[in-house]
Amino acid sequence: MNRKRALISDTFKVKKTRNGTEKFGAVSNGDGLTDVKSTVEYLMTLFPRKLFNDTLPQIVFKHQLYSIHSDKTLVDKELNKLCERGELLMFQLGFDAEAFGLIFASDYKAKVLAGEEGRETQATVKKFLEKVLSSCTDLSFSKDKMLREFLFTDSEITQLVKSGVLTVRDAGSWWLSIPNSGKFTKYFIQGRKAVLGMVKKSKYSEVLKAELEERRTTSHVKFHMKYHIHDIVGAELVESIPTTSGTLLRFVDS
Amino acid sequence: MLGFLTARQAGLDDPLRLRRAESTRRVLSLKLNPDRDVDRIHGNGINSLDIEAVEGRYMLSGGADGVIVIYDLENFSGKPQYTCKTVCTVGRSSRHVHKFSVETVQWYPYDTGMFVSSSFDKTMKVWDTETLKPADVFEFEGNVYSHHLSPIARKHSLIAVGTKNPKIQLCDLKSGSRIHVLQGHRAEVLSVRWSPRYEHILATASADSKVKVWDVRRASGSLLTLDQHNGEKSKASSEAVNTAHNGRVNGLCFTGDGLYLLTTGTDDRMRLWNSATGENTLVNYGKVCNESRKRLQFTVSHGCSPEFVFVPCGSSVAVYALHTGELVTMLRGHYNNVDCCEFHPDYQELYSGGKDCNILAWVPVLRASDVEEESNNAIKVGKKVWKRHKEQLCNQITLNNRLIDR
Repeated sequence: MNRKRALISDTFKVKKTRNGTEKFGAVSNGDGLTDVKSTVEYLMTLFPRKLFNDTLPQIVFKHQLYSIHSDKTLVDKELNKLCERGELLMFQLGFDAEAFGLIFASDYKAKVLAGEEGRETQATVKKFLEKVLSSCTDLSFSKDKMLREFLFTDSEITQLVKSGVLTVRDAGSWWLSIPNSGKFTKYFIQGRKAVLGMVKKSKYSEVLKAELEERRTTSHVKFHMKYHIHDIVGAELVESIPTTSGTLLRFVDS
Repeated sequence: MLGFLTARQAGLDDPLRLRRAESTRRVLSLKLNPDRDVDRIHGNGINSLDIEAVEGRYMLSGGADGVIVIYDLENFSGKPQYTCKTVCTVGRSSRHVHKFSVETVQWYPYDTGMFVSSSFDKTMKVWDTETLKPADVFEFEGNVYSHHLSPIARKHSLIAVGTKNPKIQLCDLKSGSRIHVLQGHRAEVLSVRWSPRYEHILATASADSKVKVWDVRRASGSLLTLDQHNGEKSKASSEAVNTAHNGRVNGLCFTGDGLYLLTTGTDDRMRLWNSATGENTLVNYGKVCNESRKRLQFTVSHGCSPEFVFVPCGSSVAVYALHTGELVTMLRGHYNNVDCCEFHPDYQELYSGGKDCNILAWVPVLRASDVEEESNNAIKVGKKVWKRHKEQLCNQITLNNRLIDR
């Protein structure tokens, strides 16, 4: 049984299409999202702000965008452009070498400054945000960069680490990080594991996306189901297959 | 299609355009053909395939049982149903056969009188095709994972050999010497490849996650070590080391023009590099499943307009567009892991071999006749004849272009 037609690009179309081609069953998420920035904004709406009492800015993962847009290289290029313009910040979240978190720069600055109210590290953090973030789009900073380019002293760097804006990477270098994001990472990993478990335990290790969204979630899953689904599809932990009854998610054994 | 033909006839288009368009169409329609088969000789998995560069007629295959087989790919029988016959084999009964599995086989680039094979029995043998006896044997201290002869070399006849030892040895075919050694890697070298553009440039991939590019005339070490983060230390997990992948790098392939280099690694990623500057072009192919502990032989199409990469992924072959990274299709047909694949540039066919001891030929689908309404039989027959004639015309153009090239 030949499940798939051979692909022939437009120039070489042999058969004239008689009727308009209708994609059976497939309901696209966030219809009409053609550009990357609006997709990021849509995904941000799925982030649960109440869960963290509004102390954390809305975080979205880079690979969640891959589940909506099919061309990964284009998504990467657009994100790099946004980062260079200073609108978006990318973070290495630590639990996976490939998982990059995205936050709008304005959101990040607002939340960090709000969190620093009344603390003795406030002035240093403010200085860091103004000097470093506006000029540099790196994910990590090394010691001599901090000392020479940005003229921070050792004690100031310690204060930045204490406030959570920098996280130790190895001796003499630090990752840019989000203060109080430990809870987020914990809930996210728990939720991801739970959702993957739900898919794996289903019959034939596959479940329709619509059905998965309807399912009752255990207390482990604290985020919106759609947030987790975009994550597992984008990270290629499940295969997304279009069927006549909608999109099917099948667990990928690796 | 007729548009392309007329444009070429009238001189509006370069002849190359029609050829490229037709090659691309053919690659996009690769499928398993029930009429085409390859003789099944190997009793064990197939590790390496090579099609000779001169005529594209003979194919070498090296198996996990140490057996080397030569097939004739041309179909002179006049019938569409054709099994690629075995011309000769170096079987287990031969006195000179390799003791353990053959990892790499390659034809001598200039004629089919000679071929070179290397194996896990720590030897590399240079065979005379006529007598099927080794003309020369090079012995090494560790398992030989990969070797490669430069396809364009005029000034040297070096074979680069990657073994379990971190040093890469260059063996000279003319003199039999092996004193030239390239040092730099820290773990076993899984794959070596000469550039098809410059005869002195060599790329090597190793289990220490690094890919190095060398100029063999230079005494002092590698020219470049490829860095997946392009010098942005921000994303690397450790600052000191330039790694091409986050795991072992087990596949290397230059594109046909030698301008780009593709590497695959056990971190399930495939990366495209600019071979002149060593810059990572950051094309995202997604997850390219790779669990091989040895060399992975993958290939790039030749002569098409968006070029395609054929990578063995588990038990199927994945086809990606080279510069955009989108997955075009998955070629399914093997029963077990696929280890190697080779593209025939003249007929746009793909041959793949794997652990299920089969070599499958993926052949472009011929144009199907359009659905026609029930009308005069004579007209129908006339149309079918025209379709076949047009197909033959296309094939003739491809063949003519091939002859012009040589």
